[in-house]
Amino acid sequence: MKRALWVIAAVTVGLVLFGVLLASAFPDGLARVAGDLGFAGRQSSVAAGSPFAGYETRFFHSRWAAQASAGVVGIVILYGFGVLFGRTLKRNK
Amino acid sequence: MHIPDGFLATPVWAALDLAAIPAVGYFVRRTQAGFDESRVPLLGVMGAFVFAAQMINFPVGVGTSGHLVGGTLLALTLGPAAATVVMTAILTVQALVFQDGGITALGANVLNMAMAGVWLGYLPCRLAGGAKRRAAVFAGGWISVFGAALLATTELSLSRVAPDRPLFASMLGIHAVTGLIEGAITVAALEAIGRLSPKFIFREELP
Repeated sequence: MKRALWVIAAVTVGLVLFGVLLASAFPDGLARVAGDLGFAGRQSSVAAGSPFAGYETRFFHSRWAAQASAGVVGIVILYGFGVLFGRTLKRNK
Repeated sequence: MHIPDGFLATPVWAALDLAAIPAVGYFVRRTQAGFDESRVPLLGVMGAFVFAAQMINFPVGVGTSGHLVGGTLLALTLGPAAATVVMTAILTVQALVFQDGGITALGANVLNMAMAGVWLGYLPCRLAGGAKRRAAVFAGGWISVFGAALLATTELSLSRVAPDRPLFASMLGIHAVTGLIEGAITVAALEAIGRLSPKFIFREELP
C-alpha cells in the first residue's frame, strides 16, 4: 500500500514537472465559448494579484520553471490539506 | 469549466455561495461518519494528483482544450462524500492561489464540479453495483463532466451573458467531447490504481 502511494505521488510530481510542457495552450471550453459569444470581457478578478496567478510563479523567467514551481506549490498544499483533514477526522472519531 | 468572477449575476453567485457552505459542512460530517483511518494518506495523494492532472490541458477539437476534472476518479477512490470535500479544497486553492475560477463564483464551481461532478460520476457505478465496471466508470466520467457543464451553462444563462441557444449548444457540444476523454482517462487511471493496490478502490458497504 505504501509503495502504491509513492507511485501515485511520483506520477503527480511528474505531471507538474513534465506534463506542463505538453499541455495544450488553447483556451478551455468555457473560455472559448465566452470569446466566441462575446462575454469574455465580463471577466474580472476579485483577488489581488497572487504570485501564482494562472499557474505561473511570478519570479521565474523560464515559463517551464514558472509553471512547474506553481504546480509543486499546489500539490504540496493539497497533500497537506488531505492529510490534515484525514487526521482531524481520525481525532474526532 | 471554472467560472471566473464577473460572469455570474450577483443574485446567482450569492445564492450559490450561501447554499454551498452548509452543503460542504454536510459532506464533511458524512465523510466523518464513514471514515476509514487507513485512507488518510490517500486523501492527500489523490487530492494532489487530481490538482496536477487538472493543470494538463489536452486539445478538444480545433482551438479548444479541456482537462481532467477528476470527480469520478476521486469518488471511486475516496468515496463520494470525501471526494466532495477534497474537490472543494482543490477548487478553493485554485481560486485563491492560482486565480483559476472566481472567488465570488466559488459556490457555483463547488456545486457544479465538487457536488454534481462527484455524485453524478459515482452514480453509474453505484447503480451497476459491480457489473460492467469499466462501462460504468466510463459513463461516470462522461456524465460527471456533462452534468457539471449543464449546471454551469444554466447559471450563465440565468446571468444572461449570451443568448441561450448558442450558449447551450456550444457549451454542451464541447463538454460532450471533453466528457469522453474524462471517461477514458478515468477508466485507465482507476485500473492502474486498482492494480497498484486494490484497497485504493472505494467499496461502499451498502446500507
